[in-house]
Amino acid sequence: MTVHQEARVRRRARLRGSTAGRALAACMVGVVFSFPLAIMAVGSLRKPGLPPPGGLELLPDVLWSGNYETAAGLIPLGQQLLNSVLVVSTAVPVTVLVASWAGFAIAMARPAVRRLLIGIALVVLSMPASAMWVPRKVMLEQLGLTDHALVVALPAVMGTTPFYVLLFAFAYHRIPRSLYEVAAVEQASVFRIWRSVAFPLARPTMFAVAALAFAAYWGNFIDPLILLTTEDDWPLALGLRALSALEPTLHPLYMAAAVMATAPAALAFLAAQRALAPRRDLET
Amino acid sequence: MGIAIHGAHKAYRSRRKQPIAALTEVDLHVARGELMVVVGPSGSGKSTLLRATAGLEALDAGRIEIGGRDVTTAAPGDRDISLVFQDYALFPHLTVAENIAFGQRARGVPKTQITTDVAQAATMLGLTAALARYPRELSGGERQRVALARAMIRRPKAFLLDEPLASLDPDLRLRTRAEIRELQRRLGVSMLYVTHDQTEALALGDRIAVVRAGRIEQVGTPDELYSRPSTAFIARFIGTLPMNLLPPEALGRENGPVTGIRPERTHLAHAGHGHLTGRIAAVEPSGEETVLHVVCPDTTRILVRVPSSDGVPRPGSETGITWSNADEHHFASAEGPRTA
Repeated sequence: MTVHQEARVRRRARLRGSTAGRALAACMVGVVFSFPLAIMAVGSLRKPGLPPPGGLELLPDVLWSGNYETAAGLIPLGQQLLNSVLVVSTAVPVTVLVASWAGFAIAMARPAVRRLLIGIALVVLSMPASAMWVPRKVMLEQLGLTDHALVVALPAVMGTTPFYVLLFAFAYHRIPRSLYEVAAVEQASVFRIWRSVAFPLARPTMFAVAALAFAAYWGNFIDPLILLTTEDDWPLALGLRALSALEPTLHPLYMAAAVMATAPAALAFLAAQRALAPRRDLET
Repeated sequence: MGIAIHGAHKAYRSRRKQPIAALTEVDLHVARGELMVVVGPSGSGKSTLLRATAGLEALDAGRIEIGGRDVTTAAPGDRDISLVFQDYALFPHLTVAENIAFGQRARGVPKTQITTDVAQAATMLGLTAALARYPRELSGGERQRVALARAMIRRPKAFLLDEPLASLDPDLRLRTRAEIRELQRRLGVSMLYVTHDQTEALALGDRIAVVRAGRIEQVGTPDELYSRPSTAFIARFIGTLPMNLLPPEALGRENGPVTGIRPERTHLAHAGHGHLTGRIAAVEPSGEETVLHVVCPDTTRILVRVPSSDGVPRPGSETGITWSNADEHHFASAEGPRTA
């Protein structure tokens, strides 16, 4: 075996070692984070009315799937699930589009303007969300925009949060400038440059923002609590909140509803796994 | 007229808000169908000149015309030019065919016409087999050809190329250089070609503009630049080996102009004979010719290029150097203008 071959074998062994180490670390983190989900799923299969288990229960003695049906009877689960789907299916694409456009504008701006816009975004980002609760409610009431399930999706028309805008801005900024310039020389409009060059190359960021926005809107119960007074307009997260007030022995019902509220988000994240993986596209 | 640049001026602001001139009073005229090479050292302003011509940088003053039309304030897409970057700027998520067709699609050309144009460009540049591949699957030379195909498909009034061969290995660079020249002749289009490599400039250009510190020092044919450089800087910059610049003291004069003599115009003589005598400090054989580094007693260093067949002297030995007076160039100073 030559010196080069030996070096290659050693390098491959090192790479295998580091890949295995990374996979093990990822598995450990996965186990830690999926533990509450497992507790929730196991809890949803426990018969209601029984005293709580003494310690950690891997599986209840009797598996009881009727909690799902009972929970659906206690709150208008179907309507609220529909509301949540409506909010998410509106807010997520709008958030991605608006945040992407705003990020593109920042990335394309002259350096001084770009720095200013990033500074403004960071200032807005540092404001506590609770500071906007009352002003937003007052503003929407004056505009007559309360009491509709979709009111909750309104922040999407501003990109939901400056954080998403900054994610896109940094992603677009990493794309070689010459790609934008050659597109401009080839008579592509700004919109076409965004659509044909910037947006496709920022695909992982797009999926990351979509996943974050999905999780944010799906689990949001504060805004619906402030803005929506009719139970039929509530999203599932707020309906779930109502179930949490049940007495402790009925918690399996709450857990069953929580599983139904969590499953779509978890499935959406799993489906987007491949898209979130880094692409080799930028290796020209 | 292909490209005409009149009085172009461009300055950047430093971090301390001080203006740094990138272009100063630049006048350059590229005839229709001419290949003009802009050559200069790094930071001389040559890329700024190209980017300003493309509309990617706005001029502070001056005027640019392309195809007889004033495009000074026109957007890059409205200048009827094509641009090839050093990094090729291929869209990594698009196939070769989609890369070539990008501009045509943006301009709303009918699909059937695009298909014909792409096929034609691919045939011309030998890319037909690579049309379905992605840029990451191509070699450096193929990527370069895709960039050229994308540039030529619109039949622009002018081609602008910014160091297009810089990323290629020497073999491929030589081949691609010839292909670019052939393509330019075949298309009959004006070309502004920026490079820092004077060998490339001499090999490619119908004319060459030498840029230094934001100013054009000389515009001329490769032969004019080589045989009658207008400044001592160009004398050193143009040529495979830099011209020897000898202060008057080196030739035993108290004052007078700086004398320039090309290494290939010098000959060896016996020590103590000829114009100068010095010690051979280094010998660099390069096939049929050998380059000698000779150090004179006053520390002046002279390059001498001699045929290897003449017998190569050993380093450390003394030698005389001679040349024909007709081959001498004279400059006001080591950086100054030509006097004779």
